[in-house]
Amino acid sequence: MKVFRKLLVVTIALLGVVSPCYAEKIVLEGSTTVLPIAQKVAEVYMQKDNNAYISVRGGGSGVGIASLIDGTCDIADSSRSIKDTELDNAVTRGKSIKAHVIAMDGIAVIVNSANKVNALSKKQVKDIYTGKISNWSQVGGDYQKIVVVSRDTSSGTFEAFGELALDKQKIRPDAVMQASNQAVASTVARTPGAIGYVGLGFLSDEVKALEIDGVMPSKETVLNSKYPIGRPLFMYTNGEPKGLAKEIIDFIKSPEGQKLVDEEGFVALK
Amino acid sequence: MRRGWKTFVLFLALTFASGVCLAGEIDILLQKLVDKGVLTAGEAQEIKTETREQVKKEIAQGKYSSLPQWVQNIKLKGDLRLRYQYKHEKATGDYEKDTNIGRVRMRLGLESKINEKLLAGIGIATGSGDPRSTNISFGDYNTKKTVVLDYAYAKYMPLSWLNFVGGKMLLGDTLWEPTDLIWDTDITPEGAIFQFSKNLDSQMQTFINAGALIVDDDTSTDNDAPMAYLVQPGINYKFNDNLSLKGAISLQAFQNVKSHTSSSYSGASNTGNATAGSSSYTYNYEMINPAFEFKVIQPFKAVGLDVESLKLFGEYVNNLDVSTKASGFSAGFQFGNEKIEKWGDWQFRYLYAMLGKDAVLDVLPDSDRYGGKTAMRSHEAALSFGLGKNTYLALDAYRSERVGMAKAPETLVQLDWNMKF
Repeated sequence: MKVFRKLLVVTIALLGVVSPCYAEKIVLEGSTTVLPIAQKVAEVYMQKDNNAYISVRGGGSGVGIASLIDGTCDIADSSRSIKDTELDNAVTRGKSIKAHVIAMDGIAVIVNSANKVNALSKKQVKDIYTGKISNWSQVGGDYQKIVVVSRDTSSGTFEAFGELALDKQKIRPDAVMQASNQAVASTVARTPGAIGYVGLGFLSDEVKALEIDGVMPSKETVLNSKYPIGRPLFMYTNGEPKGLAKEIIDFIKSPEGQKLVDEEGFVALK
Repeated sequence: MRRGWKTFVLFLALTFASGVCLAGEIDILLQKLVDKGVLTAGEAQEIKTETREQVKKEIAQGKYSSLPQWVQNIKLKGDLRLRYQYKHEKATGDYEKDTNIGRVRMRLGLESKINEKLLAGIGIATGSGDPRSTNISFGDYNTKKTVVLDYAYAKYMPLSWLNFVGGKMLLGDTLWEPTDLIWDTDITPEGAIFQFSKNLDSQMQTFINAGALIVDDDTSTDNDAPMAYLVQPGINYKFNDNLSLKGAISLQAFQNVKSHTSSSYSGASNTGNATAGSSSYTYNYEMINPAFEFKVIQPFKAVGLDVESLKLFGEYVNNLDVSTKASGFSAGFQFGNEKIEKWGDWQFRYLYAMLGKDAVLDVLPDSDRYGGKTAMRSHEAALSFGLGKNTYLALDAYRSERVGMAKAPETLVQLDWNMKF
């Protein structure tokens, strides 16, 4: 009996020593659009739970989903829906990809604040970006050349804008390509005649957001899908999430997590 | 209460969606629940989107689950090429010859996943056994044409950064070569290769290909059969989304070739490498080969031209076993669409190549460039144009001549209709 008690004491002591040393680690990888949400959530969650270690990487939606299928990350961040080819690849490799919508993102079409155009149709946006319309006078503005500003081709925002606003047509080759939403907004703010597109969280007084098909971009119009250039943001897991991955997904979807989503400039679901 | 409604709506949505198509009704139902204050707009959006994703996944799973597992593990691929070829040869004196021929190339391959870490690939192709060609010429009174084993290999992938390939392999699994200066792209080398690759960061990838190839198993004239030993370290560096550079330097040592009888597809009959007597090679071929490829996406954007990509590439080769006529090089460019995938896609390619008489083993280089001989220089220009999905036309022209002897120029023009499946 004494031996049993000694063993019990030693076991409890060992558990006490070992358990604080054990840190569960997960990797989040993918969309640069979702990156600020993932980074903020990881930072806050690791402060709350000392045993959690969350590594966050960018690389783009495609990179994240490929890593999830390869098994080199636990959660894939994506600013677009998984492609059929990616799903086929996952299924043939025995993976069951589970989608979690964590927020919405509206892509606002912006112009220089001096521009007198306040509204465009989605078709006019497409014609401007594909080169059919090249002067503001063709859409009710002053006689001024349109300077088209776009995100670079590797960004999730570029891909989403191409699908949602351009019907996958190519952007005119003389478009000014920028590496971030902030750079697009700054370029449009200082270039008369410029048009650009940014996530809703990057709108400021320095640029003017346009009504598209009669709807202004706002949290409400993005959530109810009335604004035509909006998209959900995803986190994908391999099957139902477990352990720390489940805790992170649950945390993001909680009111506290959705508050962080809102603070990062995206549209919270709650 | 809201949680209960969410579960109920999700159940309905899944039921409707799997029964085909009632997505519109689901949207209306969700909107009514939002209007009545049962769900928030965000909750409705979450249910709608996650349901669509779930349905997409179930369709993908259903597509595959209806097939037996062994079929799911096999990928089939192949292509068919119909060719018209014109060749004009000029030799010393007044000798001139024009040849017009029709050819066909068929390749059919399958790749089977044995398990998560092991693949097997098998391919057959038209051909007569020539290691550098899978073409068969029409004629000979409509004789049936032969099909041969093109490749048969196993690929073991124990780690994300390490592969092992063995068997009669695809050239792309053996070495990285941006041009066909040394290796005709139809060659399927025989032996074993280790492939190491590692992403150092988001911009730089390093790789090493290393292994041994069996060149010939005939030991009737000597005891040591020729072998080739390869090592090729390289890097792939991405400056930004639009600029990248890939470079490698390889040592390709073909040993025990010296004094060995040459291949019937090269050697004395090909008047390529130096030979002793009628057909035995005079030298070994220990080739050092630096190579590079520089790629620019949208290179002419500044001047308003919509050209998808531009590549500049080149190779140099020197046979360390020989002191004269031992080097060669190629330099070229390609612009247009990176891949020919649909109607209107196009691509133009130009390559200049020169090979000294003993720069490379003469059973290796591109067989269309002066018949695959060494001691030659050549200009090649090729234009490809997409006719539709998986089919394109290509016009390829070579102007070649000998170096170090009478020029004997040759013009070769090939018009190809390619179909992939």
